[in-house]
Amino acid sequence: MTTRTRETTRLKPHWSSIFENGTGARLYPYLMVMPAILIAIGVVVYPVVSGITSAFYDVTLRTLNSGDMPFVGMRNFERVFADPNFMRASLNTVIWVVLNVVAQLGLGLALALLLHRIVPGIGFFRSGILVPWVVPSVVAVLTWRWMYDPSVGIVNEMLVRLGVINDYHPWLGDTATALYAVTVESIWKGTPFVMLLLLAALQLVPKSILEAASMDGASGWRMLWHVILPQIRVSFAIAAVLTFILTVNNFNAIWLMTEGGPLNSSEILFTLAYKYGFQRFDLGRASAVATMLFVGLVIATTIYLKLIQAKEAD
Amino acid sequence: MRNLLKSGAMAAAIMAGMGTAPGWADNLVLWVNAPLASGPDAPLYAELKKFETETGNKVEVQAVPHMEMERNLFVAMSGGAGPDVMALDIAWVAGLADAGLLMDITEQSAPLAAQYQPGPLAGGRYQGKQYALPLYTNNAALIVNDKMLAQAGIDKAPATWEELRAATVAMTNAEKGTYGISFGSNRMGAFQLYPFIWQAGGEIIDDAGKSHVADPEAIAAVDFLAKLYTQDKAMPESVLTAGNWDEVHAPFIQERAGMVISGDWAISAIKKNAPNLAFSIHPLPQGKKAATVIGGYNLAVRQGTASPKAAFQLVEWLTGERSIELMGKYQRLSATVAATTPEAIAKLPKEMQPFMAQAGAGHPRPVVASWSEMHGVFGNMWDAVIRGKPAAEALAEANAEVENLLAR
Amino acid sequence: MSTSSSTRETARDRSTASLRRRRTPKWVRMALLYAGLWAAFIWCVFPFYWMIATSLRAKDEIFARPPSIVPHAITLQNYVDLLIGAQFWRFALNSLFLTLSVTVISVLLSVTAGYAMARHRFKGSVMLPLFMLYGQMFPPVLLLIPFYIQLKFLGWLDSLYGLIPVYLSYMLPLCVWLMRGFFAQVPHSLEDAARLDGCTRWQAFWRVILPMARPGIVAVATWVMIHTWNEFLYASTFILSERNRTLPLGLSGLIGQYTTDWGMLMAGGVVTAAPILLIFFFLQKHLVAGVGGGAVKG
Repeated sequence: MTTRTRETTRLKPHWSSIFENGTGARLYPYLMVMPAILIAIGVVVYPVVSGITSAFYDVTLRTLNSGDMPFVGMRNFERVFADPNFMRASLNTVIWVVLNVVAQLGLGLALALLLHRIVPGIGFFRSGILVPWVVPSVVAVLTWRWMYDPSVGIVNEMLVRLGVINDYHPWLGDTATALYAVTVESIWKGTPFVMLLLLAALQLVPKSILEAASMDGASGWRMLWHVILPQIRVSFAIAAVLTFILTVNNFNAIWLMTEGGPLNSSEILFTLAYKYGFQRFDLGRASAVATMLFVGLVIATTIYLKLIQAKEAD
Repeated sequence: MRNLLKSGAMAAAIMAGMGTAPGWADNLVLWVNAPLASGPDAPLYAELKKFETETGNKVEVQAVPHMEMERNLFVAMSGGAGPDVMALDIAWVAGLADAGLLMDITEQSAPLAAQYQPGPLAGGRYQGKQYALPLYTNNAALIVNDKMLAQAGIDKAPATWEELRAATVAMTNAEKGTYGISFGSNRMGAFQLYPFIWQAGGEIIDDAGKSHVADPEAIAAVDFLAKLYTQDKAMPESVLTAGNWDEVHAPFIQERAGMVISGDWAISAIKKNAPNLAFSIHPLPQGKKAATVIGGYNLAVRQGTASPKAAFQLVEWLTGERSIELMGKYQRLSATVAATTPEAIAKLPKEMQPFMAQAGAGHPRPVVASWSEMHGVFGNMWDAVIRGKPAAEALAEANAEVENLLAR
Repeated sequence: MSTSSSTRETARDRSTASLRRRRTPKWVRMALLYAGLWAAFIWCVFPFYWMIATSLRAKDEIFARPPSIVPHAITLQNYVDLLIGAQFWRFALNSLFLTLSVTVISVLLSVTAGYAMARHRFKGSVMLPLFMLYGQMFPPVLLLIPFYIQLKFLGWLDSLYGLIPVYLSYMLPLCVWLMRGFFAQVPHSLEDAARLDGCTRWQAFWRVILPMARPGIVAVATWVMIHTWNEFLYASTFILSERNRTLPLGLSGLIGQYTTDWGMLMAGGVVTAAPILLIFFFLQKHLVAGVGGGAVKG
């Protein structure tokens, strides 16, 4: 394959030679980036800017309909801060994000290490472990809801049979367990994607290193830490950022299982924004929450990436 | 940047303007809740065919699941678009009317008003103006497992609060794992408890717009129900989680709960999932008086539709006496007066008859702009009470929130 | 299979000397590996199994207590009802069209953009990827109304074509970001070698780098595919008429206001997930094949 390429290029000039020098060379990267950027400007920038702008206007069903939305400055934010649920939701968001990100990255890495080797039946296992991600989210969440059900839930039945609990427990109805029960579903659903990313990255690691690492049972942990992780750190960082974003914006899991309840015990900022926006039709306040969430995400991600870059520069 | 949203809204307004320009034909877009148009053979289509041939208008049906209806209406109507005629849960009318999104049909509907049952009709009225007419109605009744009741040594279905409590306790058996009555959590539970407030002689919001949420009657009702769980342990644990009707029905279907408060939709669910369960349907037990809660769907016309006349024609067509037959095909109840005559009731399937028979005791939920939100307040109140908060305290807090919403 | 295990043998031979402390024999390690694989498999697949079991149960068994892990009587009625209707196939075709379009477009655009951002220095080459990522951080629900206004303005409401740009907004930034990461991990030396051999920049990218990045492309394509195939929020808001509905919309139609046909819904979920699982079963080979050779070892 490589040899053939070499032949053709030597025989006749390729159309792509115009990118080799001069203006072509300077334009080359821009041309490659351009289509993606254009689409991003069209379909990402406008909606996001408009979403942020709404946070400073009084946008309700009524004002939207009349087309006259008064500018209210920071009032939407003040109203959000005055809501006692906001603090609760912020705290829950932190718990939700930390648990999800740590568990998904940890499990995802473990699964990727398990699955990267070619052993008989690996295709079967790889496909099987991808299942949670492939199941349509709405159906997956409703299935989990049934599995947790205090009357017919299989989770309860199995835990009772295993002797872990004595009686069926309303996992989603107990203020102490609701958030964690949803978290388990979310981890189940999110891990395969992390696994896939890390699995793809592991393939780029020189085989000899992995072989050595997998063989040396005693110092396996050290090999993992000193050899494998540094090799896939870029993908790991990407997986961390993406899991972070996707978790904060994961809506279906909490909404369809608990709607943030009982008694707001599983309310996160996203569900709060949804309630403001689409149950109370107060888009201004919803956008205020969304904007804070957005700013928080931007800051956290930027700091994280800067830290990584700084580390790499060392 | 400041003007971004404005320009968006302007674009929307222009679009809406284009919508109002006289079109070339009366093409109506009708949004209905998904079950009414569940397939190409749904009875609705045949009925619309008749409407089309008779009036010359065309109707395009777009089925929207209940879960997404409110959000989709909101998004579409904020974007200056939306259907010409829409089916609305009766609890949504006030909010949309308040925002000016529904066409005032007071005048057109005045001559027709007498043909509808007063309760459902009132559900389409907001601040003295009619915005919607009832498509079908339903209400909550007491569904009883006959065998469990007999085994508990009780020979007739409870008709008063005392009898309800006695039966509930009698059917509860910790050893066998049976309970008296299955109840929902949050909004489901709130829907089930409203009738008890009215039965106690209380009110939620009076006609003058004053909140009575913390009145002694309401406290008595909530306290009565909550104690069935907190004190008597006579409700299954699903009262903590059940967020849809299937989960409310589940203990009843499993014969772990002897009674459930539900509507006509429970009939097919029980028959399908437990074909051998013998059950009977009774009016809700009386407190100081008989009362039940009205649910169902209305039809409304969007403010700014291009064909207001044809749109109202369609509303009239579907909600009128034709609805007796049409809704019958869906096992639902027409909201016309003609459907409540003894002859009409006799024609209904046997299990449906108790619902129609008690329609007269039906109360609509308060028609106020922020009802959806208040319903959520009640849901949270119920969640708190069954977790041990005293009813008086929980209702006082709920009352403060409701008053806040009313003041807005 | 045979090549890789022989590589392993030689590798082990080479390292045996340095690994005196190695005690666990091969069969134990294999047993552990398979134990781990099965544990992971059961954890991941059980809820899906539960969906299948529910979809096969007779209607009067769905609410049975205690729930039985294996259905007592199996019925295929739900699948028959589901697949026999013309609607289902219509929805499936719509979903297929959307998924193919969005996947092809986002992979093509993100491969070139991701590569350029990873390899070339140009104005904004550092900040651009970050900005792309920021676009992904605004809660999608709150973009419904701006999108609606845009689509209405363009006359693309209630059309599958209209959903393509919306989906791109939701997929593309992440794809670019992911691809950039993968390209950053492909060793520079390969490209340099190709360039020395007389390839143009484009050729080096197209014929040498791209095949190397195949696992990454497969990962990105899988991500786009799954999310487009299952996307619900935007579709449910912007698609109105029956003929333009996608599979997830068809599924949500089964969730009633009062009662839900659980058996049918679960059957629908299984049928929706099946094609993607099948595709992945064949695609997963390419997660490895891209760098299977000795190229990277060099």
